[in-house]
Amino acid sequence: MFVLPPPPRYPNGNLYTGMPGGGSLLETNNTLEHPTGPEYQLVVGEGTYVLRDDLHLATPPPHPSDAPQPNNNPLATTIGLPTAGTKLSIAVIAPRRPPAQNLFRTQTAQSARSNLPPSIQEETQSPRSDAGSATNGFGSASYYSHQPTFGDNNPALQPAPVKGKKGDQRAKPKNNIVKSNSSYVSRVIPHEALQKRLTERSPDGMFAFANVNRALMWLDLASDVKTENMTKVLFTKAHALCHDVNEFTKSSTHLDVILGFNTSDIIWYEPVSLKYARLNKNGIINPSPISTILWIPNKENLFLAAHTDGTLVAYDKEKEDAEFVPEEASPVENGHSNGTHIHRFHIKKSIQSRNQKTNPVAVWKVSNMKVNSIAFSPDGQLLAVVCDDGKLTIFDYINERVLDVYRSYYGALLCVTWSPDGRYVLTGGQDDLVSIWSIADSALVARCVGHHSWITDVKFDPWRCDERNYRFGSVGEDCRLLLWDFSVGMLGRPKPMSVRNRGSVSSHIPMHRVESQSTVSRLRSNSSLTQADGMSGEREEVVHPVETKASTAVLPPVMSKIVDKHPLSWLGFQEHCIITSCKDGHIREWDRPKEGAGDGESTTAGSGM
Amino acid sequence: MSFFGKLKGGSTQTQANNAATAKKDLNAPVPTPLEKHLADVSGPVRPDGSDKYFGFENYGSTCYCNSIIQCLYYSAPFRENVLSFPSKPFLESLAEELARSESNGKPSNGAPLSPRSMSATPYPNVSSPARKQTVPGSPGPGGVVKQEENKDSPEFRKKLALAAGPVLDMTGDNSVKYGMDESLFTSLKDIFEAILGNQSHIGVVSPHKFLEILRRENEMFRSAMHQDAHEFLNLLLNQVVDNVELFSKQHPMLTQQPQPNVNGGAPETGLAAAMSSAVAGAQQVGNGLDTHWVHDLFEGTLTSETRCLTCETTSQRDEAFLDLSVDLSAHTSVTSCLRKFSEEEMLCERNKFHCDNCGGLQEAEKRMKIKRLPRILALHLKRFKYTEDLQRLQKLFHKVVYPFHLRLFNTTDDAEDPDRLYELYAVVVHIGGGPYHGHYVSIIKTQDRGWLLFDDELVEPVDKAYVLSFFGGEPVPGLQDARQLACAYVLFYQETTLEAVLKEQEAEGQQPLESRLSTTDTAEGLSPSKGDLRQTQTVTTPLGEAMAGMDPIEHAYTTPMEILHSPVLRPPFDHQFTTPGISPVMPAKSKKEIKVEEKERKAKEKADQKARELAMKERSSKRVEAYKREQEELKRIMEESKASAVEEARRRGDEAPMEKGEKGGLARFRHGSMSLRAKPKLFGKEKERVPQDGAEKLAAVPQGQASTTTDAGRITQDFAPKAAESSSAAVEEKKLKNRFSLGRKKSALM
Repeated sequence: MFVLPPPPRYPNGNLYTGMPGGGSLLETNNTLEHPTGPEYQLVVGEGTYVLRDDLHLATPPPHPSDAPQPNNNPLATTIGLPTAGTKLSIAVIAPRRPPAQNLFRTQTAQSARSNLPPSIQEETQSPRSDAGSATNGFGSASYYSHQPTFGDNNPALQPAPVKGKKGDQRAKPKNNIVKSNSSYVSRVIPHEALQKRLTERSPDGMFAFANVNRALMWLDLASDVKTENMTKVLFTKAHALCHDVNEFTKSSTHLDVILGFNTSDIIWYEPVSLKYARLNKNGIINPSPISTILWIPNKENLFLAAHTDGTLVAYDKEKEDAEFVPEEASPVENGHSNGTHIHRFHIKKSIQSRNQKTNPVAVWKVSNMKVNSIAFSPDGQLLAVVCDDGKLTIFDYINERVLDVYRSYYGALLCVTWSPDGRYVLTGGQDDLVSIWSIADSALVARCVGHHSWITDVKFDPWRCDERNYRFGSVGEDCRLLLWDFSVGMLGRPKPMSVRNRGSVSSHIPMHRVESQSTVSRLRSNSSLTQADGMSGEREEVVHPVETKASTAVLPPVMSKIVDKHPLSWLGFQEHCIITSCKDGHIREWDRPKEGAGDGESTTAGSGM
Repeated sequence: MSFFGKLKGGSTQTQANNAATAKKDLNAPVPTPLEKHLADVSGPVRPDGSDKYFGFENYGSTCYCNSIIQCLYYSAPFRENVLSFPSKPFLESLAEELARSESNGKPSNGAPLSPRSMSATPYPNVSSPARKQTVPGSPGPGGVVKQEENKDSPEFRKKLALAAGPVLDMTGDNSVKYGMDESLFTSLKDIFEAILGNQSHIGVVSPHKFLEILRRENEMFRSAMHQDAHEFLNLLLNQVVDNVELFSKQHPMLTQQPQPNVNGGAPETGLAAAMSSAVAGAQQVGNGLDTHWVHDLFEGTLTSETRCLTCETTSQRDEAFLDLSVDLSAHTSVTSCLRKFSEEEMLCERNKFHCDNCGGLQEAEKRMKIKRLPRILALHLKRFKYTEDLQRLQKLFHKVVYPFHLRLFNTTDDAEDPDRLYELYAVVVHIGGGPYHGHYVSIIKTQDRGWLLFDDELVEPVDKAYVLSFFGGEPVPGLQDARQLACAYVLFYQETTLEAVLKEQEAEGQQPLESRLSTTDTAEGLSPSKGDLRQTQTVTTPLGEAMAGMDPIEHAYTTPMEILHSPVLRPPFDHQFTTPGISPVMPAKSKKEIKVEEKERKAKEKADQKARELAMKERSSKRVEAYKREQEELKRIMEESKASAVEEARRRGDEAPMEKGEKGGLARFRHGSMSLRAKPKLFGKEKERVPQDGAEKLAAVPQGQASTTTDAGRITQDFAPKAAESSSAAVEEKKLKNRFSLGRKKSALM
């Protein structure tokens, strides 16, 4: 065997020379940069977004006991700990409307949004209106007023929220995370002036939580010293893959954060008091990693975890774990076979189960493959689930029914989000496409072509959406941020490709069908939405065929730009900025165009009014 | 050869035997991961070969060949077509004829296990790395310890696989029985038949004859140098086409006379098999002997639309392709690479288009779209790129993601079934830091045993997620993880239907426990102590060589072993240990026996030490010489390519600057990335210069393979006709070879 010159070239010399063991205990610090120049600007119709801050979160080195060993086998089958990149959640304490409530604004971002009457949306958010308000502007949400929210009609679940509430006092987890001697938590590094920072900050400022491998960092993005973590929690070997902050319970003295790990464990963490509790310990309820975890809308205690075995599990943060045995005798509770399109949905434990002393609260098997992401509709009534098998499932989780199943063009779907009005769902996936699905029409509206690789996150920009015009953004493995505009008029009505699928989403409960039908159509016409066609018979789960290239509208982006050196993992729209984060830990804040600077009033404004 | 022949005395045979048994004894109680994976396989082997999991022996840098043949074998339609060509009735009548004329007709499947001595020509590299060092450990007291360490190394497990057998020595040639001339096709068919004919589910194939023919007919594959797997794939497919077509020309009778469906007899399972039989059946009923099956499987049609910017006339030209070579850029997906492939490009400056309408060189817009979708889409990711400042090929580590399923966006409006769904069924992975060395393995989806890793002799089950772990990505400085060197190089997508995919997803959920069980088994099988897995596994041989740089001593140490286990020694672990069924577990030996054997072995080792040293010296001096030769050769090639690159640059003018651009460089000459079977007919001017039938002829000439890539075509065309005329002339051949590697460089450059 001859080995020919030239020798292999590596950026850093030989990969195989011994390096002093990687497991140094040095805690690296976050760094902040302010790069400027045209490559740090996003030029869109409404003006120019400028990169304000590039905050680089220090990716924690692996735990010393888990230091990476030099691996000389290029075909080693041990796949390292999964990483989800840097995922953020933003929390603003002030009683400000979260973006999702800012619906049907007739003005765009520049207008004085704070002048808008608080209106009914406020109510939806307030704890009193658990069941939703009578008319809140959601076309499809209105009639939910006489529908139960998740688990409401199960008396076995009723005591729980009452028990938890003691005046304004929120229930806290039991264990102190700093003093904990659990081997699961490695280190907790609270800021030395944590309480001072908490009391002195403005409630309008953004908190951010970020999970980066084995760390959870709590940042105050409004602070002058935003590089300094409020608190940094390091776990021993587990990687946090997802987390969520409860919008419903947040206050300046209380934040409910829930974390999902690759080890299948869940941690309920209250950062202000530094207390925590661990659920699904050692995978007693479900042993597979958690890809997405979300608080159930308007619920103090309940959250939903998407496990990678295709199961969705609802937990109560305060309940004890118990070994889970599927309760339903028949494996196919709501199965529906449509020719060869077989879709299986198993209720392994119903929310209606009387046995609610322990977790889990409910267990549903939605797919045979990994669930990649889930998203609740803005009105909290529906759940969109995307999986590795390429399916988008619209799931009426309150009544535990699958409504629609759509398929990607090809490959897995990786991310999903709802439009602020709940009429559209966006998915992004391995087909490099963002797909727009109309929930009212049960159809694919358009495929958005422009990414150069898989799409990792997609979000609407609620500050640039109105009744007819929508702005959304997407980020992907191609390191790009793309912004898209679409309007109802522009795309026209979705082609009625499959007539049999035209049923409305709304008729959830067969026994109330007649009533809800009339309600819906009235409300729909009142709210001047594209009304749904008449109900088509008994509403059953509908599996939609894959639309062909030729039959589908294609939407080009209004902006496409490489915004990071690393693949992006998360995207968020805030009132004043767009935030992107990458797999390497860079969090970039892109300021929206300055007031008056981009007065050309945008493509989105007015056109529908 | 003779020198080493003398060295191996009669005693070495027993020694090898001892060593082999000793090792087996040590490992006998532990079934390999593959054996565990196949533990529930029962009943007789299937007649279609879908339940055979054979490794391929590596004869020193022949992994390019092994990995590609495996990918082809596990394409059910390809395998079946190879096996059923020529058709059974023909073979039967031929066999009768042979029996009558020679009156000693053998059964048609008997020959594959013919003794090695039947082979007339010596092999350039007789001993595979896995056969070296059959004596475990290095000489000295540390030997045993070292062996313990290496127990989990792929190298060691390859040796075990080889020792466990059965080993199918493909030295014979059955071409007469097929009524064909000896060719790559017949030897490939021999291999497939031999795998099918063996009653074991696992084993190792030694593709001597195949390599012999390959090297005899193709000079570029003659050296022990690292070869390009994609080039080999292209060559092999073209040769199969030629061999098959030649046969049909020799037997014009067969092509007209309708034959019964040859696939009818074999009970077929699985979608792919069903599809293939349907298609093959239809064709066979139609025109008797199907000679077009390679085209039917791999061939697609590209339409290049060129719009002259002066007269606005659009001209179209269709070109066939057997695989698509796509340019890469960092952080993209194969979807995006394919889109880019079909993006519009400007033909201007030195690259103007000869417009038939305005009659002159004009600026034009050109785009390539897929008009006919192939049933098997072989996607070649151009990871080897010529870099101007280094003046050599460099490996691109760009992260390029690939999904399990794919549809094509770049189809023409009139394409048939433009939304065809493809599923990934095989990935050829290149491991190494550069294009001149490294290792190839393939990861292949089998009909009902999930994904398997084929690393030469070694076959192992892997998790589905493992398949998507070869996206690549720039190596992270300081990160000591060899996995960074392994990137997908050729992707095989086969057509499928949504229904089939759904069924599979359904099935996946029905046996979640079983699959989970098998994966944990795998993990355990790979490493007894889970935590140690990463550090205990050592470098695979070829990688080791790549990594070791040019240290001659490293090699010198390993070479003496070769002497001890050159071909004559093979019988001990050839057929002797061939066991029907799947678990070749060796009878356990007592500790005493082992000790005795160990003692014997050590004594022998000492005795051989001297001889080894002698041989070592000899070898190392030879090696140095050969090394020098190779280096000179390489230098010359480099210089040639450099010169031609300069020339190219001059011709194109704007190429070099484009190279630097963030976008342009790669997209610029995109059209060149398509791999064509025949010489490309790119531009009007060139089309006039080279008559089309000349191009066809060229493709038939082995050396004419230089034209298999479009880019090469443009460079080679000046002398291509010449080559077609006098391909045998050594000088010409030499030139061609250089030109060929140049073509390679060109193709990577684009």
